[in-house]
Order: sequence, then structure tokens, then C-alpha cells
Amino acid sequence: MDEKITEQAAKENYRQEPKVGVYVCHCGGNISDVIDVKKVAEALSKYPGVVVAREYAFMCSSNGQDLITEDIKKLGVNRTVVAACSPSLHELTFRGVLQRAGVNPYLHEHVNIREQASWVHKLDKAGATAKAIKLAQAGVEKVLRKDALNAIRVAAEQRVAVIGGGAAGMRAALSAAGKGLEAVIIEKGPRLGGKLLELGKLYPSGEDGAEVVKKLENLVLAEKKISVHVGAEIDFVSGFVGNFKINFKKPDGRSEQVKAGAIVMATGYEHYKPHKGEFGYGEDANVLTLPEFVSLMKKLPGGRLEYGGREIKSLALIHCVGSRQVEGVHKPQADGKVNDYCSRVCCTAAVHTANQIKEKFPGVRLYDVYRDIRTYGMKHEEYYEKASKDGVLFFRHTETDQPAVTSDRTGHTIKVKDVLTWGEELEFKADLIVLVTGMMPSDISLIKSQLKLPSSADRFLQEVHLKLRPVELANAGLFIAGAAQYPMDSTEAMASAGTAAAKAGILLAEPDIPLEPFVAVVDEAKCTGCGLCPAECSYDGALMMAEKNGKKVAVVNPALCKGCGACAAVCPTRAINVAGWTLDQFDAMVEAIAKE
Amino acid sequence: MKLNPELIDEIKKYGAFDISACFNCGNCTAVCPLSKEDASFPRKLIRAGHVGMEEKIGSALEPWHCYYCGECSATCPREAQPGEYMMALRRYLIARYDITGLSKLFYKAGWLQTWLTAGLFAAVLWLYRSYTGDFGALAAKIEMAFPVYVTIALGGYILNMYRHAIVKPLGGIKASLKPAHIVETFVHGFTQKNFIGCEETDWTRWIAHLLVMSGYTLTLVISNLHLLEPLNKRYPVIGPVSLLVWYAGFAILVGGGLMTLRRVFKSAESSKFSHPSDWLFVIMMFLIGVSTLATLGLNVLRGPADPLLAQVYRVNIAIETVWILLVVPFTKWIHIFFRPLAVYFQHVRKEVEAGTAFSL
Repeated sequence: MDEKITEQAAKENYRQEPKVGVYVCHCGGNISDVIDVKKVAEALSKYPGVVVAREYAFMCSSNGQDLITEDIKKLGVNRTVVAACSPSLHELTFRGVLQRAGVNPYLHEHVNIREQASWVHKLDKAGATAKAIKLAQAGVEKVLRKDALNAIRVAAEQRVAVIGGGAAGMRAALSAAGKGLEAVIIEKGPRLGGKLLELGKLYPSGEDGAEVVKKLENLVLAEKKISVHVGAEIDFVSGFVGNFKINFKKPDGRSEQVKAGAIVMATGYEHYKPHKGEFGYGEDANVLTLPEFVSLMKKLPGGRLEYGGREIKSLALIHCVGSRQVEGVHKPQADGKVNDYCSRVCCTAAVHTANQIKEKFPGVRLYDVYRDIRTYGMKHEEYYEKASKDGVLFFRHTETDQPAVTSDRTGHTIKVKDVLTWGEELEFKADLIVLVTGMMPSDISLIKSQLKLPSSADRFLQEVHLKLRPVELANAGLFIAGAAQYPMDSTEAMASAGTAAAKAGILLAEPDIPLEPFVAVVDEAKCTGCGLCPAECSYDGALMMAEKNGKKVAVVNPALCKGCGACAAVCPTRAINVAGWTLDQFDAMVEAIAKE
Repeated sequence: MKLNPELIDEIKKYGAFDISACFNCGNCTAVCPLSKEDASFPRKLIRAGHVGMEEKIGSALEPWHCYYCGECSATCPREAQPGEYMMALRRYLIARYDITGLSKLFYKAGWLQTWLTAGLFAAVLWLYRSYTGDFGALAAKIEMAFPVYVTIALGGYILNMYRHAIVKPLGGIKASLKPAHIVETFVHGFTQKNFIGCEETDWTRWIAHLLVMSGYTLTLVISNLHLLEPLNKRYPVIGPVSLLVWYAGFAILVGGGLMTLRRVFKSAESSKFSHPSDWLFVIMMFLIGVSTLATLGLNVLRGPADPLLAQVYRVNIAIETVWILLVVPFTKWIHIFFRPLAVYFQHVRKEVEAGTAFSL
């Protein structure tokens, strides 16, 4: 947004007599099939303060937006009410229209007559229409009382802190440095590389995991803008967008602090650890997890597969261990929940490993027990096809009929109720069992609680919107890179890391960061200094009592305030208001709605 | 059920080299015009073979219901050649039913049967040529011996198939005595009528098959009943026996020629893959047609005493001898008997399920 125009416009708007334009959207029938939009527009056109009221098929379309722009130019409209969908969908669209037409963008009110009227009152068309009129009238009352606001600007550290030095972390730091930002990698392990160090041949390139790490590490170490801390244990993270502070202990016990304008969470994942006795794991030596087997296979010369001093002639892979768990069938995790999500990468990893076994140890007979094969990535299906063609024998079970493993001196016996064999219970023997384990997020509970980061039901970090804002956390200035967000392979992790770095780069492109102006504002004349409000504030440092002009008053830090309104609710003198959502506005809205 | 993981490798020795690519989508069964709810194939059979359900495969009747139209192979998304797998299963089952173990050896060793056939032909021809007595009388005896030999060989097969398909899986001797079932079995035997069920467009194959089948059956009747005695009497161009021989010979030539061309040019799904036994079959068939026609032709033109006719007739009988001894019992020829039997055994199974079967 062009700040100068906004400020200028704000001053002018303030002096002008309010002229409200009301725009009722059909939403292509979503609204107009239930609500009589013409009637709504007609009722609003007679409402005090309104100079024009129109209805249109799609207000959000460019034709719809042009209607508003023309009214601003020709009729002098300086405040708008759009009665349409949810503000979360299109409020920003219409703020932009005002901005471009030279009106302060915060002099807009978005009234939701779709979710709150047409969709919920489908069977009562007259009632829905009456409700839409009331809601729009309340919107007019509110917009008449709005102030021209301006974005809050905070100074930002021109530095990105990357927590986690795996593939995603290194990629994010490199991308950030490429944009001219300083980057600091804080890695808890003894060296850079993370989980990639464990892996052997990677799909699809066939490169070795350690080789890829080496390449990335060399680039990172050669980059002057990147500093690296390994063996670092984070003990305290605080601050807000533009001004984060990360305190950590170095391996020598000394403490250090990194200041950063943005944080990239590249904290990765942990392998699911099967519980003792899960398919014989921990009880029988010849039951391994896929990561354990991959590490073993890396070390072995080709030809003969040997484990524990015995030749392995047959091997069974069991999929979905620790993934897509079913309540009542699987043992829950520490938090009482099962891992009902799919770990995504393990199917391809399993068939890729099977192909490598066939190549390196051609004599080994391979069995693959799965629920669904989800080799979803580009060309991953070819690994599955190759494994089939090379004679890997696949068995498919249902979610409730899990395969059963019994072990004795002669090896393991696996019983599967095989869907592909019309539900027949099939029985075969294998010398070694490899459990294809899923992913769980790394334990980052400390950072999560200190920065109040949102998690999904699967315990991974949750983005704002998977499609529209895929690498941003709800907390401003925080981004996610890689498998900290959900299970992904290294290719995807690095792509997401690049995106996160780009987003951080956009945020820090200017020395100060614009923030939404919807924060608490204290009327110092009314404030009695009673001290009730700071106790209600959930955001450390956002609201505090302080001496000002010889008087004890509440003081707000706009960069930390989230505009929740908890302070406004307890103030006995109505001295605190949230900008854009003042108590006066609410009073007027309630009155407009309650009026006969 | 315990699995035999080696089974699929064993089946692959009879053809079906691509079948491991199957991922059980079931498109093959969906497009198959002959697959029925109570005899569903190829998917179920592929799966049973894959995982190693040996008894299920050993007792399977479905391979005999398949006439290899090739729709399944054309539809398979993984190009696993299910049609060829069905063919391989038929070979595998023939080897399994055969108590001598020769079929197994011939199928697996590929060209061995061809060399053996060629060697036996040379030996037999040498024997016949060195015979100084009345060859016409000897030929009559040889030809009369054919049905005896074939009956013994076939009997062994049928008993074994019955043992695998009925006695073992159903636990005893079971049969259906319903006349309708028995009649249907014979109808299938003579007409192979299910074949028409699968051929919607491939008329060339159907006509070729019909020509070869009818020509071949006639040849069988002519030789087994010793109807043609070219060294003893002169035949007119048009006469009852001559007409039979002309038709049989030309039908085999045209039908066999068409089949050979299709194999050479791989023009249809069913003729893409040729096992050595397939080549042996068509070539031998062709030679029988040619030598029979030449025998009658020389007799008609030059009379029974012609010296060239004497030689050609010996060649004709030598080919037929080798055909009966080696090709008939140990190669695809006998499938014409298994198909109707499979239809009958299917009825028996249903009767057993319904509890109305005859039991011993």
C-alpha cells in the first residue's frame, strides 16, 4: 500500500461529511437465491447517511469493483459498506478498492449476509431478507463512526533466524542470504544435515543423502551472510515481528542471544518409534524400522544380505507403522491420541528401498504388506511399478484387520487378511521384518509455548492457509520450512524452505514493517490508572501500567497487541477501545438492529 | 492359507513373463466377455498364482474357459499380459495333469520337442521306407493303432484333471448325472461354442480356427478309420472319400496358413507371443494337410502304383505317426478336450455346493 496517499486521504476524509455507499452482492445466487437483494438495496438507499445503494451479481469482480470506484469519483462516496460474503474472504479486496480510489481503506465495513443470512436461513426467505437489511444498516452505523486508520510501523532487524540446520534449514538460510539478508542457523545437533545424514540413495536423483548435505553445507559455510551455531540448545524465545530474541546455550555452556526480524521454523521431524512388541519390535532382533534398515544397508557390501550373523533370504516390509493409526486398534501416543495422519513419504521410501534391495541383493525374496500404496510424487509410481515387475509380492489389508507377526527360531510368520485375495488369510515366512515407520514432529514444545505457535491436530506446526498462505504461521514474522509442517520428503522440504525464505525476505524488504492498526488505544484523559486491564492481557508486554505526564495510565505496545479486546471489556470507564472496533460503534450497531 | 512363494516363478517358465507387473486393478476381469461371477478370471487367478496358492491354481477350471481373445492384455494398464498368463496356466496345468512328465519337459525346454519330433520323424520315415512288405496293409494297422494310443493318453489326462479339480478340493468322487450337463459338455466339445462368445470382431481368427478344427477332425476320422487306401485303389477326383480329403486338406492349409501369418506378423493380441510348441503345432498341422493332399492328388493323377505316391504316402503316415505319438498328448492339442471337461466340472462344483451332486 502506498502509505503517503493513505495518510493524505485520511486527513481529507476526516474533514469530509460522511457519504456512505452500500453495495449488496448476489454472490452469483448464493445470496440472491434466498435474499431479495433489490429490496435490501432499496431499504438501504433510504437509510440516513447513505447516498447510494446498489446490488450486483459479483461485487468482487472487476466490474463490481469499478461500480464502487465510479461512485467514489462521481458521487463523492467516502465510506463503503459491502454486504456480501465473509470478511475473511474479500474484506481486503474492497479495502484495496478504496485505497486505489484515494479513500482511507479502513473506512470500509464488510457485512456478511451469506454465511450469516442466506446460507443459514434458506427456508425463510422473507426473514433472511429482513435480517440482511438489519445487518447492513448496522454496518452503516458502524462505518459512520469509523476513524481513518493507518498501518502501525515497527522497525525490524534485517536478519532471519533459522531454527534447525537440516536440509530445509540450510536451504532457507541460503535463500535468505541470496536476498541480501543475514541468516543465523541454530541447530541443536552436533553438525548440520539433520535427518538427511541417515539416508542412503535418495529418490529421484539417486544421490547419497550425505553427499547432498555436504553440498549444502559447503554453500552455507562459504556464505558470509550466514552464521551457524551447532550444538545449540534454545532456552528462551521472545519478541514480536521484526524484533525476535532467541537465547540459547552453546556446547561450552555459555549463553548467546540472536536478534532477528523473522524466524523460520525448520525444526523437522522424528521417526515414529514403534512401541515394544509392535510387530515384534524390541523383542526380536530381526525386526527393524525402515530408517534402521537403510542405515544397515548403506554399510553392507552387495550380493549377500546379512544381519545378526545370519543370511537374510526373505524380507517383509510392513507399511503404515505409526501412521494412519486407528482408534481402538492402535496404542495411543503420550497425548492420548493416535497418529491418524498419513506420513506421505514412507510408501515411496519403502518401494524405493525394495528396488535397492533387489538391485544390491538380488536373491532376497521381498514381501510388502500395505493398506494403500500412496506413491504420490512425480514419477514415484514408477518405483512401485518396478518393484512389482521385479517380483516384490504385495499384500493389502484393511484398517481394522492389521497384519500379525509371530516369531520363532526359524524366523517370522506373517499373517495377512489380504483384500486382493478376496479376504483370504494368507501366511508366509520372512527372515527379517522392516517396519515402514512414519514421521512425528520434533519436540519443540518450549518454543511453541513461548511464542504461542499453533499446532494442527497432528501436532505439526499449522500454517495460516494451506493453499493461500502455505508457509506462514498465524504469528506475524514466523514461517515454516520443511517437515515441521507435515510429513514431506527432502525435495518438498527444500521447496517449502525456499518459499519460507522468500516470504521472510518480503517481510524484511523495508526497514520497518506495516502492521494492522486494530490495536488497543487508551484515552489517557479517561484512564483512572486502576490497573485492572494488564491482568487480562494474554500477550506479554502488550499492555502495562506506566507514569505519563505525572499520571499512572495504561500504555499499549502496538507491535505486541493483537487487538483481542480483553482489556476493553474490563475497563470501568470505557477508556480503552480497540481501533476500528470501538464501543461507540457497537452501541450504534446494536441500536440499529434492535430498532423497530 | 500357507503360501508357496516359488509358484509364480514356476508358472513363468511356461510363458507369462510379464505377469509380475500386475497390481490387481481387475480391468482384465471387467473386460473379459467370458468371465462369470462363479468363474471369475483372470484377476483372481493371477493373484492366486502370484501369492502362491498352489492348490487353488492346481484345481482351477477357469483357464479352460478362456479362449484368449486378448481383450485383457490390450486393456492392462501395466502391460502384464494377462491373456498370455492364462495361456501359460493352461500349459502349466497340462504339465500337471500329465503323469509322464514329458509335457513339463517339452514346455520348459522350449525347442527340445521340436528336435525330438524331427528326430523321431526321420527315424520313423526311415523305418517305413525300409519296409519291403505291403505298406498299404501296414499303414492300415498303424492307423488303427492311433485311436487306442490317444484314448489311453487322454484317459490318463482326464483322470488326473478330475483328481486335481474335483477329488482333491472337494474331498471325494463327485459327479453330476443331470442329462443337461452331460449334453452341454458334448456340445461344447464339438463346437467350442464359448469361443464365439469372446470373438466379437476377430472373425479371421474364428474362421481360421473353424477351418483348422473341421479339417483336422476330418483328417482324424479319415486316418483313424483308415478311409483312405491310396496304394490299393484309384480314387476319382470327385467321390465321397475324395471330397472329404480335399476339404480336410485345403481347410487345414488355408486355416493353418492364416494362423501362421498372424503369428509371424503378430497381428492380434492372441498371436503376439509364440511358444515353440505353438510353432511346432502349426507347422505339423500344415505338413499333414500338404502330405494328405499330395497323396490323394498323385493317386488321382497317376494311379495307386505310382512310385512317387508310395514315397509321399510313407511321408504322410510318418508325419501322422509322430503327430499322434508326440504332439497330440504333450502339447496344446489336447486343450480341446479340457475345455468341455472344465464346463462339466464347473457344473459338478455347483452341484456339490448345492448338495445335489452324485457322490461315492
